[in-house]
Amino acid sequence: MKLKYKIIPRGAANGQVPLNWVFLDKKDIDAAGLTHLDAVRLIANEMGTDCAAVDIMDMEGVTCTSDGIIAPGAVCGVASVDHRMINREFGYLNVSPIPFTEKMLEEETHMKLWLTEPYHGRTIYKGPSTADRGARASHNENMTMTGRICNNNVGSEVMNMLEMTEILAPYFGIYQLMTGGDVYIGKAGPIVSVGIGMIVSERHGRIFGSDNLGAYKAGMTAHNSGKYAKTVKSDYPAIVAPKSVLAEYTLRALDIGLVPGLDIGCSPACIELARAYGKPVAVDNISDRAWEELESIGFTKDYVTSPRDVLTREEIIKYADEIIPGMDGAKHYAASEIIQDQELTW
Amino acid sequence: MKYMHTRLPDFYSKIEAAAKSRDPETEFEVSGLESFKTAKLASLRVGRVEDEITEVAADEEIKKIKVQVFPLNPETSHYVVIKGIRGDGSCKKAVIEYMYLSSPTVETALFDAEEIDDRTVGNRQNY
Repeated sequence: MKLKYKIIPRGAANGQVPLNWVFLDKKDIDAAGLTHLDAVRLIANEMGTDCAAVDIMDMEGVTCTSDGIIAPGAVCGVASVDHRMINREFGYLNVSPIPFTEKMLEEETHMKLWLTEPYHGRTIYKGPSTADRGARASHNENMTMTGRICNNNVGSEVMNMLEMTEILAPYFGIYQLMTGGDVYIGKAGPIVSVGIGMIVSERHGRIFGSDNLGAYKAGMTAHNSGKYAKTVKSDYPAIVAPKSVLAEYTLRALDIGLVPGLDIGCSPACIELARAYGKPVAVDNISDRAWEELESIGFTKDYVTSPRDVLTREEIIKYADEIIPGMDGAKHYAASEIIQDQELTW
Repeated sequence: MKYMHTRLPDFYSKIEAAAKSRDPETEFEVSGLESFKTAKLASLRVGRVEDEITEVAADEEIKKIKVQVFPLNPETSHYVVIKGIRGDGSCKKAVIEYMYLSSPTVETALFDAEEIDDRTVGNRQNY
């Protein structure tokens, strides 16, 4: 029997990737007749005395980015493996589909985008259900841990806890890797460090929210760190999609009237795309603490509300590198340069 | 009732005695509880650990006993208390905050083990 998988090996991208990161496609696991956990066990054995973070992807589903943007494909399971072991209580985390309801639409207005093509009807995955979380306590993040490896926020932040290294992959970066697209890899920097914290409120979100809605709504900051928000994650390497890709998916939300700071996050990327597209930003709904963080990277209320030339969708995508700030100095890679297709047999 | 929970210093002395139960020359090392200066430990667990140390130490090949303690939940949750102290030593203000810490899990202690005998509750599989 054979199982296909993809791996970003430790040291990839000119040494920027500090640990092995394995990606399994649900359809390959299904084709092999395995459970997701059994597939992870095979990966654990395949890694031998090495260690890896593991993301299981359902590319037929959809998920939601920290900005609140619906994205194609989804993480439907995560794991940490080390020395052929999977921690019995914290090493594996299933991510169950979340049924769409009218209540969800009322509470999570960013989900309106799911009603449009090409998303409508596709299985929604965000974070794990309460049952998925198993032995995890309320303080535990949506994280797996085994030995040296920690895989957090439903497969978007992976760490080696012994070496104290880490790499981030905002969802569209993962999507690019799974679909053979281009990525940029470099230090997250202050803009991304602030932007990551400006999330939306969801039940069972990838980062926050349980049976109850996450406490941080659009317009707020989950970092809530004042001037330090720009430093909390600035030094970590990040794998991101080209800005044209981020623009394309974010413009879809703006097209249906979703507003940064009200329906979707008030990250610098969402704000700049709305300004360039001539769309409103809910400046009066952005909390003082969020403004404090935005101002620390030059996004004052005066700047955000200042007029600028409005561009077409095509122009925004063409000039996305100039419109969306952040990831200065990141290097361009084809997916094939950093992620390898592998196959194991058992 | 005071004997239902073991004093932390007594725990250290008990497990060292167990490690040296066959051979007083057996080397002994314990780690993982350094940040605890005072504590009480559930006595029945102390008894089990003493018994298991004695069992491992009974093997004549064994020259050293190494005891490593890990939090069962490896993403630990902590209070952080930030205190502002006046010149006279009195505390004017304290801020309480949460902090979370993810540390290497128990598996890191097992990488070199030829045999692993897991005796944690029921040897249950959680998924």
